[in-house]
Amino acid sequence: MLILGIETSTEQVGCAIGGHEGVLASAHTVRGRQHAESLAPQIDFVRRQARIEMSEISLVAVDIGPGLYTGLRVGVATAVATAFALGVPMIAVSSLDLVAFPVRFTPKLIMATLDARRSEVFYALYRQVPGGIQRLSEPKVATPEEASSHLLARGGDCLLVGDGALRYRRVFEENHRSDFVEQGFAHPSAGSLVQLAHAQALREEWINPWEVEPLYLRRPDAEINWHSRERP
Amino acid sequence: MTFYTLGIETSCDETAAAVLEGHDTVLSSVVSSQAQLHARFGGVVPEIASRAHVELITPVVADALGEAGIRGNQVDLVAVTSGPGLIGALLVGLSAAKALALVWDVPFIGVNHLEAHLYASFLEEPELEFPLVVLLVSGGHTMLIEMRGHGDFHILGRTVDDAAGEAFDKVARYLGLGYPGGPAIDLLSMEGDPEAIDFPRAMRNEGLDFSFSGLKTAVVNHVRSNPDVDVADVAASFQEAVVDVLLLKAERAVEQVGATGLCLAGGVAANSSLRERTLDLSMSRGFPAYLPSRSMCTDNAAMVAAAGARRFHDDGPSPLDLGADSSLPLLG
Ligand SMILES: [Zn+2]
Repeated sequence: MLILGIETSTEQVGCAIGGHEGVLASAHTVRGRQHAESLAPQIDFVRRQARIEMSEISLVAVDIGPGLYTGLRVGVATAVATAFALGVPMIAVSSLDLVAFPVRFTPKLIMATLDARRSEVFYALYRQVPGGIQRLSEPKVATPEEASSHLLARGGDCLLVGDGALRYRRVFEENHRSDFVEQGFAHPSAGSLVQLAHAQALREEWINPWEVEPLYLRRPDAEINWHSRERP
Repeated sequence: MTFYTLGIETSCDETAAAVLEGHDTVLSSVVSSQAQLHARFGGVVPEIASRAHVELITPVVADALGEAGIRGNQVDLVAVTSGPGLIGALLVGLSAAKALALVWDVPFIGVNHLEAHLYASFLEEPELEFPLVVLLVSGGHTMLIEMRGHGDFHILGRTVDDAAGEAFDKVARYLGLGYPGGPAIDLLSMEGDPEAIDFPRAMRNEGLDFSFSGLKTAVVNHVRSNPDVDVADVAASFQEAVVDVLLLKAERAVEQVGATGLCLAGGVAANSSLRERTLDLSMSRGFPAYLPSRSMCTDNAAMVAAAGARRFHDDGPSPLDLGADSSLPLLG
């Protein structure tokens, strides 16, 4: 089984190819707002580095967010079209899972965060379980203050990871005794995506390309304004 | 040997895919319109359009291949609109097109949406001779273009403010006719008197450029000072003023460049009055007029495939790192 993993939910563009033997090749680039330019050449590059043909890929994994919409859509459209053209199934993984996964060896509560712009963060809580991580709360979008008080309510020691926690570090520090994972782990990893997807694939938890939906967590502004106009 | 081009179009609120054989045989053309999604907002909402494109792009491509009766790996070229248009919407089609080209191991080419509109006429009249004048009228553009050859364009005139289609949408919204405005005004005009109100014809005597913002203001002022006016008369008179100016300038352009004929292109070219009166003009002035079928005037992917196939054979493919350009000019 060879898995192509694509993640574009932050300013980073990442892709990786791997399977039973782990990750064969991966690449990540952070050149803000260049997702559409970078992604296809990067897939081609990683494929060559892994020394495989596109036709050997048997599963496409994709980061469905939450994240920055434009990048997210570039990744999801690319992944879905790739899986469709190959005639293979897909696995959809949340960006927050990908941020939490690399720090899974901590006994502390894990809060994965991503900068959601507009003074908000995307976040979810995790804890270590044998062989991986378990998500304790659904992905949410909230102000750093709200996220921080959610954490406070849970109590105990906590590890914060992701670019949301780093950006709003002072807010989280005010409330809580927390450790922060440094910059190198701030973005979702395409390698983690392949690893997580591999585990899910062994459990046959895949879906069809047309079932993949980005996790936006916010309605379009126009709809929000429309509804607030209807119910003043 | 047959050459199949898959065209993809997502520059605004239509998700479209088509399969073209050679330069002009349309094997399939699938268009999924999101007009209903945007109607209650009175115009296209970019974020809603982008979300819908993500959902629709693969099913629409699958339909286009299915209707054409070919498998994906028989496609020889993937052509996709890379601009101008809504940036978030363009990126969805562009990303999908690159992915398909990577998997099928075929070249991919980015197509200028305006150039694609110019090629709509060639799909139904492959033997058109140059030089041609194309009147390109849509929600975003109003232009007179001289086509001297394939890929050899010259802009003769353009709107200095609103596009003709934009004027239709704005007037329709003001008159409470809903969105999209073009078809609504077209329909209502059939019950009205086009000579009831003498709306201004801007820049009548000046060159080949257009202006429509004054006309929109004139409509608003007229309705304000005549609250009991028949809306159908307003619609018909407004439409008449737009068509008058478009054809006056188009005729001038044909004479000026000694064109072999006049082609209509773009969404507004689906307007009944513009089509009828273009044919009248062609009869009375003795030059041929080419009117693509309505489905080829509005946004579709067959025209993208046609323009892409031509460009590919002349200039080769686009690089895989091509980006989308929301304001891509016709002449690059
Ligand atoms: Zn158009």
